[in-house]
Amino acid sequence: MRTIRKFEFLNARTIDEAVNTLAAYKGKAWPFAGGTDILRMMRFQPLPENLYPEVLINLKTISPSLEYIKEEDGILSIGALTKLVDIANNALVGERYSALANAANKVASPQIRNMATISGNICQLTHCLYFSKPDNRFHCLRKGGSECPAQLGDNRYCSIFGDVNGCVAVNTSDIAPALIALNARIKTNKRMVNAGEFWDVRVPGSTILDEDEIVVEIQVPRPPPDAKSVFMKFSIRSSIDFPIVNGAALIGDGVARIALNAVAPKPYRATKAEEVLKGKTIDETAAEEAAIAAVSEASPLSFNKWKISVAKAIVKRMVLNTKSR
Amino acid sequence: MNIPGEKKTDDIGVESKNLAKPPQIIGLTVNGRQHIFKVGVDIQPNTTLRDLLKERLGLYSPKEMCQGDGSCGSCTVMLDGKPVLSCLTLAVDCDGKSVETVEGIAEAGHPLIDAFRNNYAYQCGYCTSGFIVAAKALLDRNPNPTDEEIVKALSGNICRCGAYAAIISAVREAAERLKGG
Repeated sequence: MRTIRKFEFLNARTIDEAVNTLAAYKGKAWPFAGGTDILRMMRFQPLPENLYPEVLINLKTISPSLEYIKEEDGILSIGALTKLVDIANNALVGERYSALANAANKVASPQIRNMATISGNICQLTHCLYFSKPDNRFHCLRKGGSECPAQLGDNRYCSIFGDVNGCVAVNTSDIAPALIALNARIKTNKRMVNAGEFWDVRVPGSTILDEDEIVVEIQVPRPPPDAKSVFMKFSIRSSIDFPIVNGAALIGDGVARIALNAVAPKPYRATKAEEVLKGKTIDETAAEEAAIAAVSEASPLSFNKWKISVAKAIVKRMVLNTKSR
Repeated sequence: MNIPGEKKTDDIGVESKNLAKPPQIIGLTVNGRQHIFKVGVDIQPNTTLRDLLKERLGLYSPKEMCQGDGSCGSCTVMLDGKPVLSCLTLAVDCDGKSVETVEGIAEAGHPLIDAFRNNYAYQCGYCTSGFIVAAKALLDRNPNPTDEEIVKALSGNICRCGAYAAIISAVREAAERLKGG
């Protein structure tokens, strides 16, 4: 087995310590939470030499702990280091924010859900077959290279909604679409960001976070009482795999929010489908119309037209699933 | 002692009191026995829990089917009672925690071991230790699981020989025996 690349490991005792240390190392230090994504990356080394962290800063030693779930004044607050298993099994989240609980329950495998945190899931690197090949086999745009091998190569699982900064790799977070559908906010040590504006495509990062910024809390407003939220994921195996397309929807009580992920470099909000559903009673026809609208702006690559049908089916089923209460 | 991180922090010339510090000593319990490791001497920051169990303690049960990709479950161990992947867990991150491997489960005489044998719940046996740990974690929190719950609890483990049906029977039998059946 490959050994993990060398690094220094530091325990942060407070958020200030973590952030100061991140700032002191000027991009050469990365925050460390569950570690499932970062250690895989440090083992298979898809990045060029200059992009690896030299220091990992452990956030799990921060006190008071960033691992909590509570609901106050109609807002669900989830600490950044809350494990996915705890979100999936939380009765309160399951009852009122079911899209989020179901999304957490569909991430990877039971073992990974015991390790991985919600903030790590939303900050995971977007990747494609080329980006994640070991030993920087393909020096693509997201690694500071000059071309995207997926545009003309194997792009079966890539974006169907065009590129961002030239990259067509997709964001594979399961939590992301649930947060967008539930209109969540992400609190960092510097600011409060709406979930819809949190993601970006950078070298090599996938969020808008600065190098000395960490996620501190996720805040989800309680959905209207008659609205129902759902999450759906399509992947080859029902466990362990990343999604091929996933999505979440919050529909009812005058609200219609639909988000898809793994279809674009950033989580995709299907605003066209939301407009179609405004003021309509949910039935088979409305769901079909919403599904068509959701993919109306798709521009597939050479090998991934099939993902449009998958995305359509997911939107249709999600809309229909919000009907039955 | 050369503490990782110390030199770098001085180089930057920032006051070190408000910066994160490297761990120096890691204490953990493995199968009920206490162990202490010095960081930088016994273990390095990039030593995984799996490496520590294998190379420092001679526990060979956590396997490496997927070569450290986190996608097979053959290196599963219990960390504070929960099944985790030891190939993606850092040893320096385990301070104060308790680890249980198949060696510990067998030593305690858990009926899962016999149940796996009775049901021929393996062919090559490479995935078995991961399955037993995941199954033990399930029976600890749910002594009376349905088949569906067993499948869900074991969904992070892969058996390339395809012994799944026998594995489910084995877990069912172990659950019966734990109830005194």
